[in-house]
Amino acid sequence: MADTMGHSATTTRNTRLAIGFCLLAIAPQIFELIWSIGTIFGWGTGRGPVTVVTSHVTALLAGAPSAVFGSFGGGTKKMSSEVLLALIYSYPLFVVAILTLFMTVRSAQDYVGGVVLMALALFALWAGSDLQGMRGFSFGAGTAPRMFGGLLVALSAGIALTGLLTDGPAMAHYSWRGPLFVMAAIVFFALAIRPLGLVVTAFASFMIAATGSEETRWLEAAIVGACLTLGCAILFPYVLGLPMPMFPRFLIQ
Amino acid sequence: MDIFANLAHGFAVALSPINLLMCLIGALVGTLVGVLPGIGTIATVAMLLPITFGLPPVGALIMLAGIYYGAQYGGSTTSILVNIPGEATSVVTAIDGHQMAKQGRAGPALAIAAIGSFFAGCVATVLIAILGAPLTKLALAFGPAEYFSLMVLGLIFAVVLAKGSVLKAIAMIVFGLLLSMVGSDIETGASRMAFNIPELADGLGFATVAMGVFGFAEIIRNLDAGAEMNRDLVQQKITGLMPTRKDLKDSTPAILRGTVLGSILGILPGGGAVIASFAAYTLEKKLAKDPKRFGRGAIEGVAAPESANNAAAQTSFIPLLTLGIPPNAVMALMVGAMTIHGIVPGPQVMQKQPDLVWGMIASMWIGNLMLIIINLPLVGIWVRLLRVPYRLMFPSIVIFCAIGIYSVNNAPVDVILAGVFGLVGYWLIKHDFEPAPLLLGMVLGPLMEENLRRALLISRGDWSVFLTRPLSAVLLAIAASLLLLTVLPALRSKRDEVFTESEN
Amino acid sequence: MTSIRALASSACAVAVASLCAFVAPAKAQTYPTRSITMIVPFAAGGPTDVVARIVTAHMAQTLGQSIIIENVVGAGGTTATTRAARAANDGYTLITGHMGTHAASVPLYPKLAYHPEKDFEPIALLAGTPILILARKDFPPKDLKEFVTYVKANAEKVNAAHAGVGSVSHVSCELLHSILDIKPVGVPFNGTGPAMNALVAGQVDYMCDQIVNAVPQINAGTIKAYAIATPERNPSLPNVPTTAEAGLPKFQAQAWNAMFAPKGTSAAIVATLNAAASKALDDETVKKRLLELGSVIPTPAERTPEALATLVKNEIAKWTPVLKPAT
Repeated sequence: MADTMGHSATTTRNTRLAIGFCLLAIAPQIFELIWSIGTIFGWGTGRGPVTVVTSHVTALLAGAPSAVFGSFGGGTKKMSSEVLLALIYSYPLFVVAILTLFMTVRSAQDYVGGVVLMALALFALWAGSDLQGMRGFSFGAGTAPRMFGGLLVALSAGIALTGLLTDGPAMAHYSWRGPLFVMAAIVFFALAIRPLGLVVTAFASFMIAATGSEETRWLEAAIVGACLTLGCAILFPYVLGLPMPMFPRFLIQ
Repeated sequence: MDIFANLAHGFAVALSPINLLMCLIGALVGTLVGVLPGIGTIATVAMLLPITFGLPPVGALIMLAGIYYGAQYGGSTTSILVNIPGEATSVVTAIDGHQMAKQGRAGPALAIAAIGSFFAGCVATVLIAILGAPLTKLALAFGPAEYFSLMVLGLIFAVVLAKGSVLKAIAMIVFGLLLSMVGSDIETGASRMAFNIPELADGLGFATVAMGVFGFAEIIRNLDAGAEMNRDLVQQKITGLMPTRKDLKDSTPAILRGTVLGSILGILPGGGAVIASFAAYTLEKKLAKDPKRFGRGAIEGVAAPESANNAAAQTSFIPLLTLGIPPNAVMALMVGAMTIHGIVPGPQVMQKQPDLVWGMIASMWIGNLMLIIINLPLVGIWVRLLRVPYRLMFPSIVIFCAIGIYSVNNAPVDVILAGVFGLVGYWLIKHDFEPAPLLLGMVLGPLMEENLRRALLISRGDWSVFLTRPLSAVLLAIAASLLLLTVLPALRSKRDEVFTESEN
Repeated sequence: MTSIRALASSACAVAVASLCAFVAPAKAQTYPTRSITMIVPFAAGGPTDVVARIVTAHMAQTLGQSIIIENVVGAGGTTATTRAARAANDGYTLITGHMGTHAASVPLYPKLAYHPEKDFEPIALLAGTPILILARKDFPPKDLKEFVTYVKANAEKVNAAHAGVGSVSHVSCELLHSILDIKPVGVPFNGTGPAMNALVAGQVDYMCDQIVNAVPQINAGTIKAYAIATPERNPSLPNVPTTAEAGLPKFQAQAWNAMFAPKGTSAAIVATLNAAASKALDDETVKKRLLELGSVIPTPAERTPEALATLVKNEIAKWTPVLKPAT
């Protein structure tokens, strides 16, 4: 794709990409932080947000660098999982983000695809880092995940490289409405099926999902949703014999 | 001849009104289950097992077998219509089948799937009757080393079937392999990458990932602004319901080859049926004069894998009937059904339970006949379903998928995971990655790793077993040459591209 | 004609059962007033599932309520057991556990989210399944004595198959190995089916497995059995000696299935369920079906909740030293 906007456009584009990759590099930490907020309200049994923030910040800023330099000195201290996450996952992605600033991206579709896939592979390597490796001739639990993780890092680097060397399509357009409401319907279904039963859940999820399209006509959707709910309520528990709650728990008792 | 006497006996058993009814119920339920996204064969057979306890054993098994191959027929329907493969074996069907549906040719695709399945089912039934016992040897000749090599070959098939970049296809396979590692380690029982989520302790379910990257992702993508134009176009384009003469001519050799491949690979316990459908597709693509048509609605791409998976579904009964060993999870459930009736299948089951074995074999043929009679008229209804406005169709699919996934393990987390994989699938589409190799990697990954480790344990770490065992060596040689055939042209074209680009 | 009648009656039974499940909540009386969920931590059709179904079908008649079997598969049955441990202790969620979920899991899974003794009320032992020492048909040793010497002499060479970590075949073979004081290579398979396939094909040398799967193969001569690890011979394999007879009395192992309720379930409910289970085990049809599976039916003394509590305690004590070093 010919860049008629000149040099400055590429730079802004690359800066945005680099910032995106930096965010990606600390995505697991942010995810844990969001997750940990729940513990304030007593949901779940994880660590509190304050502990999460401090442990990850120390790991990113102090633990990991010292581990990098420590390893030259031959130190083989057991590293905490936060430090490992920083070392295996975040740092390589920071490096990629910095490199991105100096690259001409010829196919954003391939380049971003490769880098995100690499992030997934690195994350898997971290997730499998606690597993035992080879023991003599016998594979340990961690051997195969590490093998495939390493291979995926290499392959995704190759894809990213293709994005730098060959011209290809730019980033595709993402819409937000469809994904948001379809996901909302799915999550609502998952949370509500046990307490609210099939009838309420199926109908409500249907309506939430229907919101995801601009073409939806409400009356029509409500009628079809009601018919579908009725059909499901007969089909699944009775014809197929699936043990499934039908009505809200509080109504039964 | 003995076989004819046995078959005649089998038909006498299978044609009794009660067994015919069982066969019909099984075929109907199987079709229904296959059509409903999310609910797989294993889950259905498991759910319906208790009902069969009150039935006579022969009838019970005929019904369960009917569900099993009925679901193979039905599974292709959702693959073609809405791009949701319900079973690992119909993943490949979705590739060209759904493209055909998009071109308004859902009718011929569905019909050829049914015809191919019927033909394959007939051939495979005869094969079981005549060659069941000798073919058993093949199942026993396959040790861990051979399985590993077969899985490698299977993964190469996945590369070949990709229509875009080879590099991306390989990356998707490895991604699938990595996903398949989630769960418990087979040798040590250690939990791998499961983050202490109990639902992940046994790994990601096939249905969960397939519903996500195929089903939900397709829906989300179709909701993108501008996509409705294409959808309306599909609805106007719907042409004939039945395949044309040219379609039949094109698919006949594909059906024949698919049947042969499926019959052979089906005997192997484990991933036989899955590999069969991929192998059949790959073979057609390699033999085709114009491989570019594949992935863009080639009818052979539906005919071959559908014949192969149905043939495999039938021949996978061989180890059960001749050795008494269940080769896959569905067969294990059937063994359960037998044990509840006091029949424990073993190597002598053919001699000791001739009613059961031959009755079941005969019922398979009858079942296939019933299925084609049920399915061909249904084609019209399914195609009409495509005329339902998408704004009503997509929430319905979401609900069906959600209920289906939930019902597999009664686990809400599975539904959320499928949703997450829906987003992953949407992202994959946006970056031009293909989901089919990913799913194949996921299905074959555990088989490959387990057999590799088993082979190395038995050989005490000697990697040469894969080459010194003749069957394994042959499989690896085929895999290597296939990979070369695929990668070399791709590399060359890529390099040319690089050069032409840099000259500009 | 009889078969049609059988079908019709079973169809009626299913219909009545589902009706019961629907109508029952209306009449609030003594326990049970609605259908009971029985969690089975393994796939439908497996040995535990079969035992649970045979027994609960009869219990449902006694209790006048349907018992719905819910198969929850995962992590050697511990996923389902965790769920059962956390279920409401109102007597409407029960679990049919086995040796693995309620004993061997303790040393096998250090992060186990439940404890078989602390999180469950024992109800009743349902069945025991003898374990056999099996080998491929051309494995050199002729009897158990030769087997012991051969395996000890060739501990580096022999391969023992098992059906996955935590499976009955795995833990019982670990017990055998600890008695013989050897550490041969254990080849893991995904379930008993594939493991048996490998044994029949001669890819592995021996394994320990439950009697159900092995009987037809032994009778057909595709594999051979050295001994049965119970005090007495089993009627389905009268020619196979016990381990005591064959010279290895220390190797005693039996897979067992038992019914549990979540901790805190009232004693009255436990007593009701225990009585129903015991009545089921005395029923001739139930007995016959369980015996066909090669199972051993517990004596009335073994069926009490107290006896089950003791069994669980003893089994944990038995497996912990055997399985601890293995992980």
